Amino acid sequence: MKNILKINNLSKNFGNVSAVNNVNLAVEVGSIHSVIGPNGAGKSTFFNMISGVLPPSSGKVYYKNNDITGFESYKLPHMGIAKCFQITNVFPKLSVRENVWSSVFSCARKSKFDFFKPLSNFKYIAEETEKIISDVGLSHKINDKAEELSHGQQRMLEMAITLGAKPELLLLDEPTQGLAPEATLEMTKLIQKLSKKHTILLIEHKMHIVMEISKVITVLNFGEVIDEGTPSEVKESKKVQDAYLGRG
Amino acid sequence: MNKYTITCLIIFIFLGPFLFPNATITEMLIFGIVAISTNIMLGYTGMLSFGQALFFGTSAYISGLILLAGFPIFLAIPIATLGSFLISLFVGYFCVKREGLYFICLTFAFNQMFYFIAYVWTEVTGGEDGLVGITRPEFIDTQLSFYVFISILFLTSLYLMYKIITSPLGLIFKLIRENPSRAEAIGYNVRFFKLVSFSIASTFTGLAGSLYVLIHSMVPIDQIHWLKSGDIIFMTLFGGVGNFLGPLIGVVGYIWLSDTFSIIWARWPLIMGVIFAIIVLYFRGGVSELLENLIKKCQFYFKKNKDEKYIKN
Repeated sequence: MKNILKINNLSKNFGNVSAVNNVNLAVEVGSIHSVIGPNGAGKSTFFNMISGVLPPSSGKVYYKNNDITGFESYKLPHMGIAKCFQITNVFPKLSVRENVWSSVFSCARKSKFDFFKPLSNFKYIAEETEKIISDVGLSHKINDKAEELSHGQQRMLEMAITLGAKPELLLLDEPTQGLAPEATLEMTKLIQKLSKKHTILLIEHKMHIVMEISKVITVLNFGEVIDEGTPSEVKESKKVQDAYLGRG
Repeated sequence: MNKYTITCLIIFIFLGPFLFPNATITEMLIFGIVAISTNIMLGYTGMLSFGQALFFGTSAYISGLILLAGFPIFLAIPIATLGSFLISLFVGYFCVKREGLYFICLTFAFNQMFYFIAYVWTEVTGGEDGLVGITRPEFIDTQLSFYVFISILFLTSLYLMYKIITSPLGLIFKLIRENPSRAEAIGYNVRFFKLVSFSIASTFTGLAGSLYVLIHSMVPIDQIHWLKSGDIIFMTLFGGVGNFLGPLIGVVGYIWLSDTFSIIWARWPLIMGVIFAIIVLYFRGGVSELLENLIKKCQFYFKKNKDEKYIKN
């Protein structure tokens, strides 16, 4: 099984407007596959269809050869797909530990009765939680409320929550959005580190990050794939240059 | 809950009968169950339901009818509680399909529906006169035995609800309150857990309703009216949704105030309105948050005094 995620002729129409049109894409196991495109290219709609937020108008999404088209988003983490949001999306009034704990528990619990047992019963979940938090470098903030963290730290927490599900496939929607340059660098490094264990589908806006770390890049414009290839191939492509410079 | 709150709770249970008349203190304990369970839904899960009287009243009717038919109380309470659990699944299934204002409206609509069924179905419910003529079983005939019986059920319910909110389930409820879309994204079926929360609250409210018939040996129809739902929300907010026992303070305060003022002045709800407005405007956490802040300030003050002494020495 070479392709972990396969997308066939995926389309989404809002009324008469076609936001995503017949997109085909295959993500190889263990790679970082990026989807880029100028503003309004349909990246977010595309992302939302894969992650179960929006039902597609037509087309299919296969994960490990299973049809997951239109699955509700709460089912995906249990299959090994986790997503990270474009805007910071954590549980503000809960501690960093509780934030990550709940994510780990969601997929690691063993039976339905686990919901009713005391929280102290789950040693293995607590250990896993602490490991993930130290991986993203938030150990010193473990008992702080999420709302008290800085923006960059919240992005890291967001990532930790996503990793809590122990996913095989990570869906990242503009993880570096609104980050300071140093934090962006840190996040890029983290993504590279993560790619050793997870397959990553990255939706990004910033070209230089994508060029640096991706194995394959798919370029979207006006809801359609205009080019696909390695970073150097895409860089040379005239179509892509035109799209980004508005000459398309 | 730390040992201080548990001590306070036990002192309250023991002193209660000396401070308030029997009917008042048992009513406080019964509505204590209602308010604390409502808080699981309101404070922990973030769902405001204006239909809790539906479960309280329906369960009271079921329990009253079973007692009137001559069956023992040990049958009446479980059947009435089970009844409100089943109704909560049915009603909740439709209500949790919507959020926010629409959820509130749906709970309100269901409450009205059940009220009018009770109002119109006079042969069974007694209509406007309520269900009368229920007798208390012999073993809880005296004031003391009745109080002991109610307190045991009260403490058991509290223990169960405390277990629920300190389990992973309680944490999931908080996730839903904080950020439902994120909770969904990490793998929790939000609609299902909202229904669980709704059912837990409604089932305990139902249990309380089945006990309520024993106080005055009757079910007045206003126990199923939506104004009662309003009272329940009022009591919960008055006490404070921020912690587990907060709503209990609200219940004791509300019932005591309404008992006291209703004797002095027929227009007493006006005073309650003013108090409620002040609480919502200035103490969003209710009385319990007020107390917590006071205790914190006292601790800070005493600590400072200690420090000063230490420095002087």
